[in-house]
Amino acid sequence: MNKKVKILLADDDPDFIEINKTILEAKGYEVEEAYTSSEALEKIREKQYDLLILDLMMEEKDAGFTVAYAVKEDEKLKNLPILMLTSAQEKTGFTFKLSNDKEWMKVDDFAAKPLKPAELVERVEKLIK
Amino acid sequence: MQEQHVKILIVDDDEISRIGCERILEMSDYHVDLAENGVDGLQKIKDTDYDLVVTDLMMPKMGGMEFLQEISKIDEKIIPIVITGYATIENAVDAVKMGAYDYLAKPFTPDEFRAKIERALEKRRLLLETEKLRQERDQNLLEHSIEKTRTHTIINCMSEGVIATNKSGLILLINPAAVKMLRLKHVDVIGHKVTGLLSNPALETKISDALTQVTSKEILERFEITTPEGRVLQSNITPVINEKKECIGTVAVLIDITEDKKLEKVKTDFLSLVSHELKAPLGAIEGYLNLILDGVTADQPDKEKNYIQKSKDRAHELLDLVNDLLDLTRAEKKISSKLISPVDLSVVIKETFDFYKNEAKAKSIQFAFDCPENLPSIRGNQEELSRLIANLVSNAIKYTPENGQVSLTAEKNNNQVYIHVKDTGIGMSKDDAAKVFDEFYRAKNAVSKKISGTGLGLAIAKKIAEEHNGYIELESQPDKGSVFTVVLPVINKRSHGE
Repeated sequence: MNKKVKILLADDDPDFIEINKTILEAKGYEVEEAYTSSEALEKIREKQYDLLILDLMMEEKDAGFTVAYAVKEDEKLKNLPILMLTSAQEKTGFTFKLSNDKEWMKVDDFAAKPLKPAELVERVEKLIK
Repeated sequence: MQEQHVKILIVDDDEISRIGCERILEMSDYHVDLAENGVDGLQKIKDTDYDLVVTDLMMPKMGGMEFLQEISKIDEKIIPIVITGYATIENAVDAVKMGAYDYLAKPFTPDEFRAKIERALEKRRLLLETEKLRQERDQNLLEHSIEKTRTHTIINCMSEGVIATNKSGLILLINPAAVKMLRLKHVDVIGHKVTGLLSNPALETKISDALTQVTSKEILERFEITTPEGRVLQSNITPVINEKKECIGTVAVLIDITEDKKLEKVKTDFLSLVSHELKAPLGAIEGYLNLILDGVTADQPDKEKNYIQKSKDRAHELLDLVNDLLDLTRAEKKISSKLISPVDLSVVIKETFDFYKNEAKAKSIQFAFDCPENLPSIRGNQEELSRLIANLVSNAIKYTPENGQVSLTAEKNNNQVYIHVKDTGIGMSKDDAAKVFDEFYRAKNAVSKKISGTGLGLAIAKKIAEEHNGYIELESQPDKGSVFTVVLPVINKRSHGE
């Protein structure tokens, strides 16, 4: 592997960070952590990541969207793919809104937590291609 | 017409004529009275309710014409018949002008007389019938007007807004509640078209629509409108349909459901928070189990064991959360439905101290205690009061770093018991302090320092205090510590007769 793929995991629940980090590190990805939306934004602006895995409901109910908008509206950052994870929303409700609401279109992929290791890896591989 | 109660008065100065008439009439079973002259006759009319008066025209003291005039002043419905020996057309016409119903020339046969009487009685019957109907109608009108006032009063007192329009959309009625709900500045909208007047286009359109909808059955249109002030009105519009199935107007009823909507939102928000809080530990447990089952950590037994431990912790957290949710639901129940008794606070406070002593010691926290043994009793639920103090003490220990200090003290002052729980813990900002009693609100510093908690302990404590007519005060400074003070009213012994 030439240059390691770098992923930022943003979640306010340390266990979810631990779980996803373990899965991704086992696949050889480099993983960094952020526990709040502001910490996530800080890191994105500081370093270059290949993927952002973002929890929707962090310190605020839709903190994940705040981060997603900030990323997608920024000319320099908008190419960073985002995988949004949520335990709050119904899977179907999320899909529906994602395809109908323009603002939600900005997220590249979404999934309900927790993702099985194989599924997480599959989605990540798709996004970083 | 042979009715027992038919009463006839005969007025004639000629005795033979009087008695002759009386005989004829008595054969028909009428009640007959006699009078010799007009003055006597008038007196009798004043005293008795006659159906007919048969009078001679030529009489002393008071002539027949004057007598007729006087009768009509006393009783308009009495039917006068004139008999006269001078039956000329002029006399007859004059008598009719004076109010006589009929006249009969002397001499006459009994049959002629009886025929006249019976015709007159028929007239009398019709007259009475008409009068009865008129009275009934008057009564109905009176009742109608009373009913109208009553309905008006009822509609005006209704808390629901009512707006009625006619077929062309003119406002026929609008009650004060509707005026208030729509914040109408011009109260004088009656008789004007609904369009542009109700300061609510949505409502105006719906009313117009209800009018133009050709419909054969009554339909009720129910919808919600929002006023510019943000109040939510549930509006029910019913078309008024006549017998020909035509829409002849509308009645709109407005109900202010703003508070219901707010409650609904609080409930929905709470449920969405609860579901998130329940899903998070479940998701974490599932995530760890996935790691282990899928063999991601197969060659790292220590890591695996660590993940099993973490799963167990989250399972325990979930259990705590479920217990707290149950406590919260219990605390929300009306105190009247709970087991209530005088509670000895001194005992409850001491027990709480004893229970948490070891926990404090394990964290090397100095745990001070000062509570008089004779605190007055509080009327309430012992289990809940104990839970209230325990929640505050366990929080104090949880949020205080090792080697810190926690104290539990109590005192009585002015019929109130004050219980102070003081710590030298992480404290919180004013903003956090304002929200810390909200369900699932956990101060950021608490979250970032990764202190576990369900976020319900203080919400439960607050509800219990309030259910006991008390409250909780909070003073806090970030990194210095917090003081929670529970204030509970003491039983007034006299008012409870204890």
